[in-house]
Amino acid sequence: MNTDAVLRALAEPQRRRILTLIRDGELPAGEIAGHFDITHQAVSQHLRVLKEAGVLRERREGTRRLYAIRPEAIESVRAFLEDLWPASLARLKATVESDRAAKTRRGA
Amino acid sequence: MSDDTFTASVRIAAPPAEVFPYLTDAALVVRWMGDWADLQPEPGGTLALDINGVPIRGEYLVVEPPHRLVFTWGAAGNDVLGPGSTTVEILLRADGGDTVLELAHRDLPPDEVPKHGDGWDHFLTRLVVAASGGEPGPDPWTNP
Repeated sequence: MNTDAVLRALAEPQRRRILTLIRDGELPAGEIAGHFDITHQAVSQHLRVLKEAGVLRERREGTRRLYAIRPEAIESVRAFLEDLWPASLARLKATVESDRAAKTRRGA
Repeated sequence: MSDDTFTASVRIAAPPAEVFPYLTDAALVVRWMGDWADLQPEPGGTLALDINGVPIRGEYLVVEPPHRLVFTWGAAGNDVLGPGSTTVEILLRADGGDTVLELAHRDLPPDEVPKHGDGWDHFLTRLVVAASGGEPGPDPWTNP
């Protein structure tokens, strides 16, 4: 699971709307598209991004494509949150301390 | 730690006066978080920070160099977690020649995955906003 891809996929409001639509169960692509003013092609593109990020799974039933959420993708991002500020602060620490070392070298 | 607050801390080998600008100077901030920043670090001043394409927007509430910084944190154009909806407080304490930095991110929406109802959009929004700090770097999920 590439968390970065999941986050990018979730960053788009219409893609979050798609997830909201299917949160309670699987839906066919046509029905999902019916909830949007944008073209079916644009909805298909969003579905593709979500699928490639691992957020959705796709199942074929005859000529229909059905989409459902993969909960493990959402869970993985939730766990990622636990690391958000610690990871940022670790970069802050590294930045300040390397600048300090560089200044000390220049001053020496 | 209560459910709606996330805390983190770090020890930095530099005094608070040297660390503080890294929290308020846009050119220094983007070296550790985000790709673009426009910051007005004074009470009432605005905070704008784009991280992985997510527009984080907020307002400075308390700016007390070099020890305390409080600002709001939300996502532009988002009804659920709009600018001002969550608050970040950062405290810098001198300890020897070091700084102990403590951060508290308050008023976050619940972090469980909701099964039903409106909580879902809160949850997704929180993921996007909170995870927007995850600029390219070590990916903890490469080897889950």
